[in-house]
Amino acid sequence: MSVPSGPSTSGRDLLVIGLGTEHRGDDRCGLDVVRSLPGGLPEGVRVVEGPGEATALLELWSGSDRVIVVDAVRSGSLPGTVHRLDAGPNGLPSRLGATSTHGLSLADAIELARSLGRLPRRVTVLGIEVADLGPREGLTGPVADAVGRVRAILLEEIGVAVPGAPGD
Amino acid sequence: MTERTISVDYLARVEGEGALTVRIRGQEVDDVQLRIFEPPRFFEAFLRGRSYLEAPDITARICGICPVAYQMSSCHALERALGMEVGGPIRELRRLLYCGEWIESHALHIYLLHAPDFLGYPDAVHLAKDHPEAVRHGLELKKAGNHLMQVVGGREIHPVNVRIGGFYRCPTVDELGALRPELERALALAEETVRFAAALDFPDIEEDYEFVALRNEREYPMNEGEVASNRGLRVPMHQFEDVFEEVHVAHSTALHSVRRGAGSYLVGPLARYALNHDRLPPRARSAANEAGLGGTVRNPYRSIVVRAVEVVFACEEALRLLDHYRPPAAPFVEPPPTFRATEGSAITEAPRGMLYHRYRLNDGGLIEAAKIVAPTSQNQKRIEDDLRHLVERSLALDDASLTDACERAIRNHDPCISCSTHFLSLDITRS
Repeated sequence: MSVPSGPSTSGRDLLVIGLGTEHRGDDRCGLDVVRSLPGGLPEGVRVVEGPGEATALLELWSGSDRVIVVDAVRSGSLPGTVHRLDAGPNGLPSRLGATSTHGLSLADAIELARSLGRLPRRVTVLGIEVADLGPREGLTGPVADAVGRVRAILLEEIGVAVPGAPGD
Repeated sequence: MTERTISVDYLARVEGEGALTVRIRGQEVDDVQLRIFEPPRFFEAFLRGRSYLEAPDITARICGICPVAYQMSSCHALERALGMEVGGPIRELRRLLYCGEWIESHALHIYLLHAPDFLGYPDAVHLAKDHPEAVRHGLELKKAGNHLMQVVGGREIHPVNVRIGGFYRCPTVDELGALRPELERALALAEETVRFAAALDFPDIEEDYEFVALRNEREYPMNEGEVASNRGLRVPMHQFEDVFEEVHVAHSTALHSVRRGAGSYLVGPLARYALNHDRLPPRARSAANEAGLGGTVRNPYRSIVVRAVEVVFACEEALRLLDHYRPPAAPFVEPPPTFRATEGSAITEAPRGMLYHRYRLNDGGLIEAAKIVAPTSQNQKRIEDDLRHLVERSLALDDASLTDACERAIRNHDPCISCSTHFLSLDITRS
């Protein structure tokens, strides 16, 4: 995990955050996505894992202009479905519960940041619909496939062309 | 006869998964069942066959809020098993790291999880709209604790710098000294937090708890001491399982801890304070006196004030440790090069209370058996007792109000069911 050393200074900066809990089945998919990203990403792009609880996101994205959060989501869609949500003026769509491992959820953190004037200009959530959150290691098949698709989405967003990357 | 069931399948602002069922028959409370998904059980199995050196890192994953507690209890238990003595600056650094965790964990609970109950808000998001200063103070305090964990522990979430025998790398005097302004500010904020918490309105309720915490002769306890209670118990921590037992109950994956022959007991801030308030350093003691706490707090709602006093203590103690820090000659004590089959246990004081670990190693240094007793499972039966008394007092309330009151009563004890995902569904049924 790379820990940001301070607020970013460029408006072009992008912070990618992977959330999840290891050993809880598909819940770790956000971690797996950020771990799958290659090294040597363009300057201004930061990739981090964590945090262990959602309020720490406010600190983590402090000073960032653009943030992408990858997390597990449970909404009743087919496992492996990739949801793309922008934390617009009305918050995340209420029909979609972003599953968090802790007292405050990702959606709470976004709303808390908004209340305190600490929401980055643009926050996008890439959510992977999960199937099994039981206490075990490893992802279920559809979620593992989705990790590759979200990786490709992120690389496109970052502007890195990786030949042979798993696509949609 | 009227029978009604209060069923809360998801407990708001309790980390992770927890559920509550209360069955009421007429004017009598039939049954109170708090169900908790308890990840340490899974980790006990997961640890078998792993090298003893992996235990601090693996167990740190149990909780995103209190990884240091798991690291500390695992290190102390394994060091005892191996006959290792770890003292001097490494001991002080461990205490400093623990201060960071107490600050961040308590600040999170006080401002973002507990305060909304007293101020009439459903959650921290709503609280922040009307009281942004309070939430900012909470986040600033929490950040100071996290920063301390980052500098000593390598990073704030799941610190990676802790190992059996000490640390992989010890911070320099300058690295720790740079934390001083932030911790001084945190100490002032913590004192303000005590005043904020003490001014809240508390229901006039006292419970007859058996408080259980570590106690030692020289300081407010974190990593050392005997297990003591306000009813005269005093035993070495390694005899924990002789005095306390875990009882399986059908309704929960968690085991219920009880003191053999005595029943439920309470660990955590109320217990630590009751047994160790005479060990608090000057500013924490003044804050407690100004808040009118006295020597023992039996009102569970006032735990928010005691937590705030413990944040003052942790900031004050961290500053003292910073000032006296001299880096050790080596960052860790070398474990013995050869092994025989051995066993060891230890207790440290997690923010939420005593955390017990026991490990059995084979002659190759692999873990054969692990036992982890988390503070939440120790408190579970005692929380059920609180709930039973609450429901008995509150039978006139409608279901919605009773559900709210039950959730509040649970949050008083800051149960941690971390390392779990969460789901939301709430229903109340009457028959």
